[in-house]
Amino acid sequence: MATLPHDDIYQLLREPIDMAALASHVRAPEDGAIVTFDGFVRNQSHNRPTLYLDYEAYESMALAKMREIGNQLHEKYSIHRVAMVHRLGRLEISETSVFIAVSAPHRAAAFDACRFAIDTLKRTVPIWKKEYFEDGAVWADGELPPALAATPRAKPAS
Amino acid sequence: MPLAPLPSAGYNSLVPPVSQTIRVTVLFFGRLKELTGQAEHSIEFSDVTTIEQLFARYAARHPELAKYRSSVVASRNQEFAAWDTPLRSGDEVAFLPPVSGG
Repeated sequence: MATLPHDDIYQLLREPIDMAALASHVRAPEDGAIVTFDGFVRNQSHNRPTLYLDYEAYESMALAKMREIGNQLHEKYSIHRVAMVHRLGRLEISETSVFIAVSAPHRAAAFDACRFAIDTLKRTVPIWKKEYFEDGAVWADGELPPALAATPRAKPAS
Repeated sequence: MPLAPLPSAGYNSLVPPVSQTIRVTVLFFGRLKELTGQAEHSIEFSDVTTIEQLFARYAARHPELAKYRSSVVASRNQEFAAWDTPLRSGDEVAFLPPVSGG
């Protein structure tokens, strides 16, 4: 794991996420609050019972995007440390797929940063899940990453 | 005995650089990987200049790909990239279906 400023953790894992260890990692004496987000596998999708999920990622880009979100958190909010971990491979019902912990001296920044982190992760990090049902499997409806503000769009054909 | 240089040996120097071949690595994810039957592909070409043209090349081989064009986002070297982004040799291009992590 690369050493990062702020002593943050960004990981993709193929084994269960140790949430207690991550929460403890971001905890420091100068902080007063930790907000965590635990996203786990629901037992149904659009009222169809789910058997399990299978996650895949464009790993190098996903990690880069997760670190980018972390950098944004440190720029936007008065927080201390971030831990952001996403699991890959097959996950059973109720297993944690994504875990985020943010520590801060005061709770408001930790709440805001954690919310921003999971919302942005779901929109911009290249990870996909396939949902398995009794009678087949589908790729979950995803979100399109936001328009490429920094890059000029192709001109419409004239 | 070493072969004498062929009389045509200097021919390539006359070919304009525009036809230079470049090699890129192309990655497919999610349903695009299933459609194309491949996760990673190395391709060499001299007639493709943008990500859009590269996608069209694969769509010609796998017509079902074209249906997903409007919901696909492309990346170049791990950064989201516009469809008219020019390609360079050694680039890693990926075609990404709508993301669904979390």
